[in-house]
Formats: sequence, structure tokens, C-alpha cells
Amino acid sequence: MSDHLGLRRLVMLSICFLLLTACGSDESSWETIQKRGTLRVGMDPTFPPFELADGGEPSGLDVDIANAIAQQLGLRAEFVLVSYDGLYDVLATGKADLLLSAMVVSPERTRDFAYSESYFNAGELLITTRELPLTVELSDLAGQTIAVELGSQGHVELIEWAAREDLVILPLNSSDEAVASVSDGAAEAAVVDAVSGRLAMRKHPTLQIGVVPVNVEPYAAVVRIDDSLLLRQLNEQLALLRDSGKLAEIIAYWLDEEVH
Amino acid sequence: MHRSLKLPSIAQLPANLSLSPGLRIVAFCLLLVLLNPPPLLISVGPEETVQTTHPIVGVHTRLTDEVEEWKIQRSLQMVRQMGASWIVEFFPWAYYQGENREIDWRHPDMVMRHASAQGLRVIARIGLTPKWARPADTPLNYLDETAFADFAAFSASFVDRYQGQLDYIVVGNEPNLSFEWGYRTTGPETYVDLLKIVYPAVKQANPEITVLAGALAPTLEAPGSQWGLNDLLYLQGIYEAGGGSFFDALAVHSYGLTFPPTAAPGPEILNFRRVELLRQIMIENGDDDKKIFITEMGWNDHPRWTRAVRPGQRINYTLEALRFVEDKWEYVETAAIWVLRYPAPTKSYMDYYTMITPEFIEKPIYQEVKKYTGN
Repeated sequence: MSDHLGLRRLVMLSICFLLLTACGSDESSWETIQKRGTLRVGMDPTFPPFELADGGEPSGLDVDIANAIAQQLGLRAEFVLVSYDGLYDVLATGKADLLLSAMVVSPERTRDFAYSESYFNAGELLITTRELPLTVELSDLAGQTIAVELGSQGHVELIEWAAREDLVILPLNSSDEAVASVSDGAAEAAVVDAVSGRLAMRKHPTLQIGVVPVNVEPYAAVVRIDDSLLLRQLNEQLALLRDSGKLAEIIAYWLDEEVH
Repeated sequence: MHRSLKLPSIAQLPANLSLSPGLRIVAFCLLLVLLNPPPLLISVGPEETVQTTHPIVGVHTRLTDEVEEWKIQRSLQMVRQMGASWIVEFFPWAYYQGENREIDWRHPDMVMRHASAQGLRVIARIGLTPKWARPADTPLNYLDETAFADFAAFSASFVDRYQGQLDYIVVGNEPNLSFEWGYRTTGPETYVDLLKIVYPAVKQANPEITVLAGALAPTLEAPGSQWGLNDLLYLQGIYEAGGGSFFDALAVHSYGLTFPPTAAPGPEILNFRRVELLRQIMIENGDDDKKIFITEMGWNDHPRWTRAVRPGQRINYTLEALRFVEDKWEYVETAAIWVLRYPAPTKSYMDYYTMITPEFIEKPIYQEVKKYTGN
């Protein structure tokens, strides 16, 4: 299997460009970025609502976060669009300063790359009626029926869970149906990924998302392992966004509002 | 006479009892040895047979980077239990033949031994060039004409070693992409030059071996592109360069992307039935007696990748595709689903091509294919 679907050209073009233009300066990336005035953000724009470039400029949750961080730093965000396979390559070869593209923290890559604080947990979560406590966990639901999208990651989680616990799995055709089954009373809870869950909640305001995730899939920005100054800046800016409520606002804009 | 061993009490031990640094290291090493659990004893077990109502079903395994024998065995057991008769597996030349030209057969031996024990038919894909066989600072998949004879010699050794266990070999992978040549710009003529050297070499090692050309990557790249060449044009190019006499069957990759398996094919569309267009080119070149082996096929069910489908669709499309192949494509020998499992998560959409998790948890698609084969 290799990515032979067209986007590879973007990756290779980026790599070739960098190999031709890369210089061996000792200057830190952060200093270079400040002089340049732009923050080059690597991104695979095929992943809505985080990033999508439908023939034009990219838009999405990650794009807004990148723009907000750049603005706080007095910079302009510039997006380097590549396929997923090439993201780490464009970072490694210096074509991008960081990656902000729904990147899951991957401990296997930490020899070469460093991850920022997570800005979003995309893992599976529990949706229940408001009659249950917000802190409900799967272990509290022994013997109950749990709805899930057939074949989804949540389904795999439940299969694993059901091997240890008494649990009735109700596989349905979509995350929407799984959430609806909780509304209808056909299931006690639904396990869906964070994005699908939040999107589905628009239609089911009487339900709630449990605060204890079923599993954690943290999204974070990525920098080269030596770029500790840049990493510190990113973490500080993410903290600012979080503390000011701006991060929650961006997430809500893309996941909770009907217009998207 | 009863003799007792008199041990000093704790109180009698000298307060400053200590070992020399050398003895401490020896004691530490001894402790490590004692604490180290014995290696897992893996028994190959009795010869098994695949039980299946659909012998066309195959799966691409990914055991290349799997170092633990029990995981290799478990993977292949799960292939058999799923009712798949075939596996396609990648055997990287670069991993096995070092600077001294000696071939380390331990890993491929392990894979082949367990595959045989599970009653699986193996299609071996050979690729990746050792450092000594390519110029400095070139990627692992770089292969140029100076290494063709070495590649052929390794392929022949491989085929020779596994006589009786291995009946199919694929020469290279997706040769119509420059990436697969280490970003060298090549054409079908180059690939035919490779086939012309490899084919007689492996046939000499085992005249019964079936040599598969390809497997071509579905792509729409136009002539002159530095990234690759449209698979339809590439196959025609293979024939025009005289390659038809140097392969016994064609390997193809067939991905459905967001299309259902029955969606009509077209030269400008990448979908599952693109196989039919390749078949037509084979017929036009007088190769209608040759079989096609689909060595990769499938759909992806990542929640948000734009080229993925929903998990339920993936299951339905995969089963429909298998039925379609059996009903309509009598010239297809096997359809191998990409991919059984990765040794570790890739943390990307690629994980959503798998049928079981790295921890061997069966995904619903695995269970459905298992049911489909009557297991």
C-alpha cells in the first residue's frame, strides 16, 4: 500500500524543494520565524472539520487555532499543505515549522519530534441521558445496552470491554443512530468518537457527554525535537487560548454550531 | 552424629559488610539473569487446513516488522481462522542480505514456517534494496540497473529456499510510481528490463514458480509526470517493451475509495472495477490466458478522512466486492484485502485499513469476513 492517489506529489514536491533550499543555519527555528514574520504550519487538508481546503484556502478548527496562535505571537500563519504521509517529512526537512493537523501524540516518534500540550481529545466518549451522573463510566453500566456505530473504533473498544464485563452491544449504522438510540431509550448509553459525538449532540440537547472519556486520543501540535524554544512558545500560546476561553470558542464554533 | 550448620544471626554480621565493585557487578548480572524470564517456547504445531467456502479470499499480512514469533504465529492463525486461503507478504531484500552478502534467513524462515503450518498459500513480494546495492544517500526502495542482477540472484535464492512452500512471487511493488524506484524516473521499459533478468533466474531456481508482474498502483498520472504513470498506460507499455513473455500473471491493487464495488469503471476513475480495464489490455495483447491476482484491495473507514467510507459501508463493500470477484471475474485467482494488522498503530488513517488491532482484537470487518467464509 502506498499513497498513489495524487497527494503524494505535494509531499514529494515539498521534500525536493526543501532538499534544494535547506541551509544548515545554526539559528534556532524560533529566531528564524520571528525574522520571517510567518509561522509555517504543515497540514493535511482532507480532514474536516479540522482542516479542509476545497480548492481554496484551508479552513477548519486547526486553521483557526493556528491563526490565533500566530496572531498572539505577532506573526502570520502560512499553511503548507501536504498529504498525511508527508506531514512528518515536511517538518523533518524544515519546510514547515510545526504541524497542526489533528496529529495524535505518538510516543514512537518522540526521538525526532516533540508534541505540544494537547488541545483536543478525539477519543471515544460516553453519551447518556441527563438522568445519569456526568461522571458515569463504562464500568458503571454493567448489564446495560450500549449503542455504537458498527465497525467503529468505539465498537472495537466495546468488544474488548465485553470480554471482561457484562455488556450488551447494540451496533447501529452510524454514530447519529447510536446517539439517537439513547434518546429513544433503546440504549442506556452510546460510545462515539468525540467529534461525531459533539456533532450528534446538536440534535439531542437532552443528552449529555460524560466527563470521563472511554479512551484518550490527544491531538497536539508537533515540532522538531530540537525546537524547544518554539515548543515553549506554542505551549504558552495554547495556555493563553485555553485560559481566555478562545480555544473552547473555536472548538464550539466548528463542532457545536449548525452552520458547519 | 548429627551436624548442624551454624549460621550467624543478623546481629553477628559486621555492620560494614560490603562487596567490592567487581563483585557487585557480578551479583547484579546474576540477579538480572535470575530475574529474566525464559524465552517463550513457540511450537509450530500440527499442520492446519483453511476451512472456507470462498477460497478466493486472501489478505495482505504485514509481518515484515514483526519481531516476536508468537505474534507472527497468532497473525497467521487468525488468517486461517478468518477463512482466508492466501496471504500476500512483503519480504524486504534489504533486511536480509548485508554487506558481506550473506543472507540471514531467520525471519523469512519463521514467517514461511508458520504460514505453511496454517495451510496458507503465500504470495511473496520482494523489494527494498540493501545499502551495498545502491548509491550512497539513496532511499531503501532505490533500484537501478546496476543492481538488477543482484536482485534477481536474491529472488532466485528466495524461491529456491522455499520450494514446496512458495508458489508465487511478485517482482517489485507498484512499479508505475517513481516513489517505488527511490524517486528515479523510470518507465515500463525499465521494469521490463528487470523482469527479463529476474524471470529466468527464478524459473531456473524453481520452474514451477508463478511470477507475477506489478502490482500496478491505480493512478491517473499522465505521461511525463515525475511521480508515476497511469497504470493502464503502464501495462500497455510493458507489452510494447516486450515484457509479456516475462511474467506468468499480473498482480494489481484495487481500491474502492468512496465508490461502491459495483461502480462502473472508466479510464479517468479510480475505483474497484479498474481491474476490468487492465484485463482488457491483457486481452488486447494476447494475454487472456493469464490470471490476475489482486494483491491489495479494500476500503478505509477512518471517521473523517475524505477518502474513507463508514465502517458499515466498508464491511458491506468488502463482502460485495468479494462476491463480485467470484461471480464476474473468472480470471482472478485471489483477492487479498489490505491489511490484516499492523505491528503497532500508525496513528493515522492507515490504521483504519486493518482488520484486527495490534493487540489482536477482532474488528467487526474481520468477524464478517470470517462469517462470509463459513467460519
